[in-house]
This record gives sequence, C-alpha cells and structure tokens, in this order.
Amino acid sequence: MGLHRFSPPLSGRMGILRTLAPIRDSAIIEYGCMGHMMYGRMFLNRAGVSGMAKTYSTHIDEADISLGDTTRLNRAIAEIVEKDKPKVIFLLPSSVPQVIGTDLPAICKELQPEYPDIPLIPFGYGGFDVFGYRGVQEALLLLVKTLPIDIEKSKQKTFNIIGSCADLFRFQADADELIRIMEGSFGITPTCVMTSHTNVDDIWNMGNASINLVIRREGIPAAEYLQERFGIPYLVGRPYGIKGTIKWIEDIEKILNIPSNIEFIKSEEEIAKNQTLPTIPFFKHIFRSHPEEGTICLGGHADVVKGILTYATEEMMFNKGPCWCDSSDMSSEEIPYLTEEEWTAIIKSNKKSLLMASGEALEWGGGNLSLQISNPDTKWRLNPYLSPFVGFRGALNLIDLWLNAALDQDHD
Amino acid sequence: MNRIQHLKKIASVKSNAGIKFLTSAAFPGSHCPLHTSLALSTNIRGMSTLVVGTAECSIYSRNVVKKARYSEETLHWMYVLDSNEVVFGCRKGVIDAIKEMDKEGAEAIMVILTCVPEVIGEDIEGIIHEVQPQVKARLSSVLMGHFRCNSHPSGYWKTLLSFGGMMEKRDINSNIVNILGRSTDEDNIPMPELLMELEKKGFHLRMLAPKSDIKDFIGATDAKLNLVISPYMNPLADMMDKQFSIPFISLHEIYNVLEIDETYRKIEEILSISWDNRFDELREKALMAEKKAEKELGGLRYISTGRNPIPPLALAFYLNKFNMIPILLHMEEFYPDDRQWAKKLEEVGINPFVCHMVNDKRDAPVLEELEPDLSFGEIFEGTGKVPCVSYLYELYGQIGYERTSFLLNRIMNTLENHKNKGGI
Repeated sequence: MGLHRFSPPLSGRMGILRTLAPIRDSAIIEYGCMGHMMYGRMFLNRAGVSGMAKTYSTHIDEADISLGDTTRLNRAIAEIVEKDKPKVIFLLPSSVPQVIGTDLPAICKELQPEYPDIPLIPFGYGGFDVFGYRGVQEALLLLVKTLPIDIEKSKQKTFNIIGSCADLFRFQADADELIRIMEGSFGITPTCVMTSHTNVDDIWNMGNASINLVIRREGIPAAEYLQERFGIPYLVGRPYGIKGTIKWIEDIEKILNIPSNIEFIKSEEEIAKNQTLPTIPFFKHIFRSHPEEGTICLGGHADVVKGILTYATEEMMFNKGPCWCDSSDMSSEEIPYLTEEEWTAIIKSNKKSLLMASGEALEWGGGNLSLQISNPDTKWRLNPYLSPFVGFRGALNLIDLWLNAALDQDHD
Repeated sequence: MNRIQHLKKIASVKSNAGIKFLTSAAFPGSHCPLHTSLALSTNIRGMSTLVVGTAECSIYSRNVVKKARYSEETLHWMYVLDSNEVVFGCRKGVIDAIKEMDKEGAEAIMVILTCVPEVIGEDIEGIIHEVQPQVKARLSSVLMGHFRCNSHPSGYWKTLLSFGGMMEKRDINSNIVNILGRSTDEDNIPMPELLMELEKKGFHLRMLAPKSDIKDFIGATDAKLNLVISPYMNPLADMMDKQFSIPFISLHEIYNVLEIDETYRKIEEILSISWDNRFDELREKALMAEKKAEKELGGLRYISTGRNPIPPLALAFYLNKFNMIPILLHMEEFYPDDRQWAKKLEEVGINPFVCHMVNDKRDAPVLEELEPDLSFGEIFEGTGKVPCVSYLYELYGQIGYERTSFLLNRIMNTLENHKNKGGI
C-alpha cells in the first residue's frame, strides 16, 4: 500500500463492515482493539448508517495476544445474546487478530451449540492484501450463502437489489430511486435490498424473488449463487440517464416476462425532457465554443464512473476527459486505476473541465463540492433523502449539477 | 456487588492490563491513543506527522488531520503496511517515507506507529536513529498500540514525552516558568488565579500543550520551574526534572487546602517571590467549603464514571478527608503516577474496585445496583436515581484554592438538588 497523502483504499475488513452495518436485527462483533470499531462506526455515522446493526467491539490486550486468549469474545457474545437477542451475529476480525491468526470460524463452530437459534457467522477477507470492494463482494456472497432459507417463489413477483452498500456515495438515495422505478414500471416491491434497506428476515426470504438487480460488479458472485440455488435470473447494471434507464427497464421486462407500465415510463421521460429542454441551447454553446468546459472528468467506483460517463457523453454530448476508478482490481483501458500522483496531476491540469470525484479530491483540487460522486467523503451525510444519481430522477439531478457548475464558470 | 466481582481492586493493579471492563461488549468504547497522539501533534506548530499502520488507522486519521491547525505549513501523511510488510517489517518503506517528507520540507516529523507495526515488533527507535543523520527534519516517534491500554490518554502523555526527546539544554532564565497543560489561546478555560499572579509579577509563562510551537518545546529547558496542571504532563515534567534538573510541581492533583498552602509556599521558595496576602480570600472560601463538606459528605459511598475526566485516585485520596468511601472507580488510564496514588490509598485503608466503562446502556444498571450515594460523572442511560456530579470537564485546567471551592460546592449542590427533587 505504501505512502499516502490522501485516504488509502479501504481494507477488505472495512468493506465487510460497511456491507453488514445496515442489516437491522443483526449484531456485529469485531474481535480486536476498540479503536478499530470506533473508527468504523464513525464512518458509518457520517454516512448516515446509525442504529441499524448493533456494532460492538471486544477489545484485546497484550495478554490476549501473547496467550491467544479469546474469552473476551465468548463473554461479549453471551452478553449480546442475553440483552439484544439479535437474529444473527456477524463476527469480524480486526487487524491484530488477523496478524496473530485468530481462528474466528473455529471459535464460532465451538460456540454455536450454545446458541442454537442465533447463527454465528464469521467473516474472513481481513488480510492485508485485500481491498474494500473485495470485502464487499465476499460479504455479499457469504450473506446469500448462509442466510436465505428454502422458500417457494412469491405469487406476486418481487425483486432483490444486490450491492446497495454503505461504501458507495449516496447509496440510499440511489436504491430508493430504483425501488420507485420498479414499483412504477412493474408494480412490484422488493423482497430484499441488500444491504442498505434490509433486515435479517428480508435476507432469509430473498429466495422468493423473481429477479436480482445487481447494481455493482461485486454483487455478481452472490447473484450467481442465488441463480444456481433458487433459479433467480439476474441483471447487472446501474441505470444512468434517461435512455439508459429506459434500456434498463426494457432488460428487466424481458427477464420478468411481464409488460412494463408504458404510461409511467412516458411520464417520467416527459418530465425529464421538459425540464431539460430550456438548457439545451446553453449546453450546445458550451460544447461548441468552450470544449474544455464541455469536458467531463470522473473518478470513483468503476461502475459509477462508467454509468455517468456513458450518460454524459452519449446522451449529453460532453467530451470525455480523463477518468479513473478507485480500485486496482477494477482497472480497465477505458477507466484505469490511478495512483494519488496520477489523479492529482489530472486535477491540476484539467482546471476548466467538469470534475466529478470524491469529496476529498474535490476539496483538495478546489473543485465544485456539489459534484461529488464518490468516497472518501469529507462531510456528514445524515439525510438519506437527497437526489439520486441513477434513474430518471438521477438523470435530472446530474443535468442540474452540470448546468449550475458550467454556469459558475466564466463564459463569454 | 456480584456483577463486579470480576474486577480488581486498586491495590492489586499494577498497569492498564489490570483495569477490566465493567461489561464486555464495547459500544461505543474508547478512542485509541492514535487519535490523541495525532490530534496533539497536528496542533503543534511546525510538526508534521506520519501514521504507520493499517488502512483503518490511516483513513480515520484523515478526520483528525482535517482539523490540523497549521496544515498549510506541515505534512500529515500515512504509511499503510501491505501483506509482505506485515511479515517482513516495514523498515525500508518507513525510511523512504521519512526521506520523502523531508524532501518536501517537513521541519519536524512525529512518526506514530499503530497496533500492527507494534505487534510485529518494528524497531522504530532503530529506524529513527539510522535515518536522523540523513534528514534535516527533527524526528520523534511513539508506539500507539491500543492493545497496551484501554483508552486514549497515553496518546497524549507518551507523545508529549516524545517531544521531550527533542529538547535542547539551555541556560536557566529565572524569569521563565513553563506551564505544562495549558494552551496559549484557551480563551474558553478561565486562567487560574495563580498563573495570573505570576504574570503580574512579571514572569514569562511558556504554555506547553497543543497549539504550542515546536520551538517552545525545544527551548523549554531554560525555565526555572515547571508547573503541571494536567495529568497528561506529569511524565514530561518528570523527564525534564531528571534530564535537565528543572523542578516541577503538580498542581492538578492537589485539592486539600493545607497541601495547596504547602505547594504555593514551595513555588514562592523556588521563584524567590512572596504571594503576600494575594490568595487569602480564595483560601478562606476553600476552607469554608471544606468545613461544610466535613459536615455534609461524611460516610457517603460514591462511584466515578467514564464521564469524570478528573484522575480518580488523587480525588479519592482527597475525599477520604471527609470519610467519603469509593466503591467503584472508572479509570481511563493507569498513569505511571497511579502506582504512587494506589499505595497512598492503601495506606489509609481505601481499596475500591476499578474498571473501564465501555457501554453506557449495559453499565448503567450495574452502577445503580451498587446503590451509591453519589456519582462523579453522569450515568448516561441511568434512571436518575443516583445523584451525579455533572460537567466535570469544566474543572479541566483549573487548580488551587478556587478549584477546591468549585468542586466541593458542586458536590454539595448536586446532593441538595437531588434531595429537593425527591431523592434521598
């Protein structure tokens, strides 16, 4: 990982925590130094994830490390079971137990008979070569492997969303928009929105869904597992832009084999187009006469960057500027992973372009903070009801942001 | 008392390891010492920082660094270990990082090692020793593994002690007094009367605390006397006494009027001054408060919670004057000095249970079951049946006769108010 002037990539452990923390009726116990969970919880509070899963730490001291004593964990589990009565307990290793090789799966196996009604689920991927998104992927997969019960398909069609996790910027609003579109387009409601809007019961029942909507690539292994076990088909993609959203709905229509509500879709399309219409001459002027300002640079999660880029360049005619993703595991020719030195250099040399990136990058580069699309964040986000980036409302929100950012620039 | 039998009594505690949790599952728990070490270092003018550890430590540290006071002129970087370095050590990477920061113009660098590099036994002192001759920046380091303590205070006192390593021997200036534990611009904390009087007498008070300049620490060895007003500062004062022969007087742990008399007399002697009758009125008020307390507080059983920032052992020793009986004390940190306080308590037959409280909701019923007459610090999530001396952080930075009056009156007012509200 090396030297960093800005936030380094999340660890796998942090990715797991951010995936599990929104699951209500569950408890998360991190075995390790208290500061670890204190910091993890601080991020969750800032991201607007408070009071969902109960998050605890055991702490460890020198004697625990040198003797390999894990009785703190036993005591913490007993206390949490007695007082909280969670439906499931997730156990996470923190960095020191990872170094000393604490065997959480063995501990869970040994303790499980004492708590026959409460699954104790240990999570791995705490190593020092695993990054956050891999942690998200493994957490989603382990959840679907361990929790869903055998269940018949629901008579009324339903859907699951896989991958709405607290590590993504504005994850709650994006999930809300997708739920709204699914209700409007097909009249169906979700069984499970994994994990931003879920509880343990929802995950238990997710096998009754008719389709899994995978909104980030880390959810694919979980969707594949659910397809194999329950025969649930899945669609991978984040719908950005008006055309992009309609295409997404059409893809779902084909999989579900039920007609979509044309009136709803037309109404949404019309609202978006009407609102956008007065801005078209201005954007045309920018693209023709100020091509630098009509260039968009994006940095963040590869799927978010790809989605917004496609909308900006294919539906809105922005020029593609340098774009990058924040995970070396997702690097591609079109959207490469860039180091701190590389993305800071891009920000310095593209001052006139529209920059959409993390709060940290925007703040450092003196950019427009309203154009944040990714983490690390620099602010508290208590309000989950902000405008999304995906779907019809996301399309309008993005145009609104681009318009005002472009107007803030000094043009002739 | 059954629910506290897993705890130790203070007489048998020798270090932080002996301070057990009152209940097991920490929520929210305590900050780790990285937080305070970094917060302190980033508020010292001229001090850059390098946090060495995991992604968790580094990402969290960004929140602390965001409030850095002199961020325009300092660097606050992070070195994150990869899987190879966890096995084979991060020596080369840390040395390269220090050199890079030096090249970028860092004046002084505090290298803060967190849990993992400390667990793998990285020899940071060796690294500093090796690289110091190759760089211009003054280097210091601290080991901030959270597994060595329960909470954050060591982040303060160990970091301050580390600043001491940068000090240079200077000639004594009998007009300078170091104030250890007060910042230069603490407008929100009233200036203690003793310090105001020293200023009136023409002494230059050098404030050593967060927001000081690194040069203040380096040149602090010219002082005639160190006055300590924070528990975080005792280890540094002790080091300066041993290494530079600067005497120190700890004012934060003395409450008894007669002991304050003696302490103030010592200050007169060292500084060759006379207070005349400057403190007579304050002293009289404190004496009156003590007399009243002797009548009202005798035999009261009390606890101290995590909301009490006053070091509890020195306080318990003082409250014994009124025959108050401690039954359970939360200890944020077992300071090096606490062995001495534990011994003093044992000598007067006081041996309370001690613990670390990490979960307000779970701890509250256990505390209330003990049926104390009084709590120092709030019992959050409690029923309100125990009178609590609240907002004790307001005593931070206060010393002398006026603090004694303030403390005793607040205790007695708390009991009176509770009684008026229908309590016992």
